[in-house]
Amino acid sequence: MNLAAWNTTLQFAGVSAIFALSIYASLWTGVLSLAPVFFGAVSAFTFGWVTLTVGLPPVAGLVLAAAGGGLLGVLTAFLVLRLESHYLAMATIALVLIGRVLVLNMEDFTGGVAGTLAPGDLGTWLWCLGCLGLAAYVLARLRGSRFGLAASAVREDPAVAQSLGINPRSVQLVGFVLSGVFGGMAGVLQASFLQFIGPDTFYTHLGFTTLAAVVLGGAFHWLGPIIGAVVFTALPELLRGPLGEFDSIVTGLLLVVIIIYLPRGLVDLRRLRLLRGRGKTAVSE
Amino acid sequence: MTLVIQQLVNGLALGAVYALFGVGFALILTKMGILNVAHGTFATWGALVAYFAVADVGLPFPLALVVGVVAAGVIGVLTDLVAFEPLRRRNAGLFAPIIASIGMWILLLTVAQAVFGATATSFPDHAVPSGPIKFAGLVILPAQLLNIAAALLVAFGLHLALTRTRFGAAVRAISADPRSATIVGVNAARTLRLVAFTAAAIAGLAGVLAGLSSNNVSFDLGEALLLKGFAAVVVGGYGDIRGAALAGFMIGILEVVSAQYISSGFRDAITFGVLLVILVLRPQGMFGERKLARA
Repeated sequence: MNLAAWNTTLQFAGVSAIFALSIYASLWTGVLSLAPVFFGAVSAFTFGWVTLTVGLPPVAGLVLAAAGGGLLGVLTAFLVLRLESHYLAMATIALVLIGRVLVLNMEDFTGGVAGTLAPGDLGTWLWCLGCLGLAAYVLARLRGSRFGLAASAVREDPAVAQSLGINPRSVQLVGFVLSGVFGGMAGVLQASFLQFIGPDTFYTHLGFTTLAAVVLGGAFHWLGPIIGAVVFTALPELLRGPLGEFDSIVTGLLLVVIIIYLPRGLVDLRRLRLLRGRGKTAVSE
Repeated sequence: MTLVIQQLVNGLALGAVYALFGVGFALILTKMGILNVAHGTFATWGALVAYFAVADVGLPFPLALVVGVVAAGVIGVLTDLVAFEPLRRRNAGLFAPIIASIGMWILLLTVAQAVFGATATSFPDHAVPSGPIKFAGLVILPAQLLNIAAALLVAFGLHLALTRTRFGAAVRAISADPRSATIVGVNAARTLRLVAFTAAAIAGLAGVLAGLSSNNVSFDLGEALLLKGFAAVVVGGYGDIRGAALAGFMIGILEVVSAQYISSGFRDAITFGVLLVILVLRPQGMFGERKLARA
């Protein structure tokens, strides 16, 4: 691979990382959600529309999409948070399916089957790393905060968390808002990098591979999804040489192997602590 | 009036495939607690193997159908052994099997694409009699009858097997509590293999029938089925196999009727819209019972 190809691949890795953080934000509070794909779709098509049809500057489109994503996160949370684990995951998958149907049928707005163009102004390293840095900074600051501790508690055991005076639903609501804002930003950046978005740009495949990236990297620290996304984007490119177009075979195998043998992912602070401090009592997440 | 009834029949035939697929999907979901995203690829593999058996080996269609169904079942068992059994042994919880099934999904889909290529084909015309049956002004294709008969047979057969036989009792015992089931003498490993085989074989059957009635066999045949089967399970309810079957039929009718009277573009929108409404208003499904939550 030449330098230009690597440059593109790594930029996409950056966008995937923001998507991954969006999934992580709700997974942190114990909710398995593919809604970020839906948030991404809504914001990307909104971005395309407000910049090309309405004529707003791209930066305003990004801000609008992030805010809209957060709002959408709140709405989604009210819709689905009453459900239990499996149902909740299913409802968010249903959202992704419905998102595609909406894109196909709101032709004036999204271009329908043909898709639509999006301005490439934000498709630069600066915006990509800026947004990623912002998302990571927010999550890093939240990690030790009251919210962060509450989120980890809710994830481990909602019943215990509740008995400690934490309201699991409101913690999860905050998770969804974060997820919505990150998903909104990621959708806009994705659109700006691709400069073209269609009904299949934001669909189950994106959701499942991003989820895979989160699991690969580790879903117990914000660094995990970022590393997972980079590995998951770069690895297929590396394998494309020897394996041709069927590089995803390795992706699939890797996913199964990781979840079986390394269930907490590549970035696992608990394992590091356990390795470092054998004999001492390990503090769990 | 004839048109309405004709559309109902078409809807039933379409829905039969969803019902079949949904039944297998529900079996894994409710009895093994796995949201198996790879289930659609079992259908694909069933259809592909049956196609190879007909087109390349030259088997007659009924025999090829059996070969396809068994092949799908074997792939299902292998998937269970490779991806789910290690997690089960570790007691890995709810999310891990979903992730593992995503891995198997990517794997099986890509291999199908590699083996089969990206082109679509169809079963030979003479696979089943193609002459339409005319009855009281209605036109019914033999393939449609086959779909409906297969779905009814499998749904009721499976329901009876789960509620009336020793095998069914063993399955229910294991899904309630694997350890206690083992203590009272249920062979957990064998039962789980059998459930995995049955569910995947039913998916394979759905795949072959879907390929037959839509005249289209390709490596992504199972993906559309997965989404509709998933909708059938959610709408029908979590607890009962018959609910998924009934919902599958209903979704088929809904699709055909809405394509006829509203717009074919909104066909999927209506299906998935119903899915979301049911999930939010009645998460236990239309026919499910609210389960007592365990602390």
